[in-house]
Amino acid sequence: MMSTAALTRRAAPVLACLGLLAAWQVASLALKNDSFPTAIEAIRAIPDILGDKESLINILASLRRMALGFGAAVLISIPLGLLMGRSRSVAAFFNPLLMVIYPVPKAALMPIIMLWLGVGDITKTLVIFLGVSLPVIYHSFEGAKAVEEKMLWSGAAMGLSPAQRLVRIVLPAALPEILTGCRTGLVLALITMITSEMIARQSGAGNILFNALDMGQYDTVFAMIIIVGAMGICFDAIFEKVRARLVRWSEPQFDLPLSFS
Amino acid sequence: MTAVPARSSERVRPVTSREPASAIIEIDRVSQVFQTSARKDHIALSDISLTIEEGAFVSILGPSGCGKSTLLYIVGGFVSPTSGAARMKGQAITGPGPDRGPVFQEFALFPWKTVLGNVMYGPRQQGVRSTEAEAQSRALIEMVGLKGYENFYPKELSGGMKQRVALARTLAYHPEVLLMDEPFGALDAHTRTRLQNDLLNIWERDRKTVLFVTHSVDEAVFLSDKVVMMSKSPGRIREVIDIDLPRPRRRSELLLDPRYQKYVVDIERMFDESDEAGFAL
Repeated sequence: MMSTAALTRRAAPVLACLGLLAAWQVASLALKNDSFPTAIEAIRAIPDILGDKESLINILASLRRMALGFGAAVLISIPLGLLMGRSRSVAAFFNPLLMVIYPVPKAALMPIIMLWLGVGDITKTLVIFLGVSLPVIYHSFEGAKAVEEKMLWSGAAMGLSPAQRLVRIVLPAALPEILTGCRTGLVLALITMITSEMIARQSGAGNILFNALDMGQYDTVFAMIIIVGAMGICFDAIFEKVRARLVRWSEPQFDLPLSFS
Repeated sequence: MTAVPARSSERVRPVTSREPASAIIEIDRVSQVFQTSARKDHIALSDISLTIEEGAFVSILGPSGCGKSTLLYIVGGFVSPTSGAARMKGQAITGPGPDRGPVFQEFALFPWKTVLGNVMYGPRQQGVRSTEAEAQSRALIEMVGLKGYENFYPKELSGGMKQRVALARTLAYHPEVLLMDEPFGALDAHTRTRLQNDLLNIWERDRKTVLFVTHSVDEAVFLSDKVVMMSKSPGRIREVIDIDLPRPRRRSELLLDPRYQKYVVDIERMFDESDEAGFAL
């Protein structure tokens, strides 16, 4: 049986969502503005979008680009970040490069990339890739830098080569930090996905959203915002589950040491 | 926790009748200089020569900053000396290797591995089959008094337990020399005493060569065959003292033994004198 406190904790997010929708509903009714549909109108439009084959193809195309961009970014950024964290010369080479790219909004690079690679999938995937890479590199770098020297020495004494130490000691030791970066990256992937489709409209969830905006279908616009938001929450929740499993050994509930010498 | 069982006394070789020991580690005119800033060098070790005999328990004793840990890291191959050389069985030490097993004050366990996973890591790396490595590791975990904790993660353990795991993890790959870097320095007094007793019991069973860095005079005298006293800035060997106390040693007997007390007092006095000399400068 669940305690009252646990029940409240479980219900809190649901209550927060309902509260937000209620506030939206009230605000919309009070403002009586055509471009601000009520929450109920927006929610009613969701089944229409999800039931439409064309829209689904668009959304799936977005998700595929997002998965590709995110996957490629993680695969390249983690090794790079770890190398930077363990080798001063690698860090000295890449750090200034990344410092220049970091503050630039990745979508701002898109017109240039479009000139080179066209308005198709490659450009959009590349923009997502760039958006995800930096936080993942940064967190992998910080994580690798923080790995205790003595832990590496212990591995070296057991006969692990430098490459083995990177994969079998630095990688697992830095994993909690790396996954923090990946989590940020995942949200950024969703954001850059939509932004890229805003700039180069052709297909995708962003395409539906901005086309609806052009045609004054405001209920569809807001319905898409809800859908994108829900996708973000789902991805994050799934990722959090995976993350918690992978780094169970570093979770704070393990922090209480037993009283024993 | 069960205490480590005392080894049968007939297996113990008394110190006095030990066969002529051969040198296992030679430290030959080793100096270590760290560049602290562009203009200033810090001489951590100055012209250290020391021979460690096989099967001996040797402590390096000195104040913090005397370079005693650095000396241990040089023997471990983790740090290269600025000049001079360290040799293991006549071979120049160029890097870490499984013949020299470190145990650090910081424990340095792999936090993503369980106790068993940590202890098995070395043997698995050496190519020991999984079932065999596990059996050996379980026996070692029992020997260090942690039976029942095989599936715990390091984060769930207290400092003393972590250091027991670290010791078992190093013993698991059968190093010829144990390099212990202030292993009990981060533990409370009670836990430290228990670990000293248990380490001595374990050591007196197979008499591995141990190089043990500490700043505690009692600890050094209680454990060692030989105490190497170091002074600081620059780190130099001040005195090498043979501790001629019978083994197996028991704390309760030893603390009452006037010979033990004399060693402790003499060594402390020597450190005090060098401190005063330092003031005079």
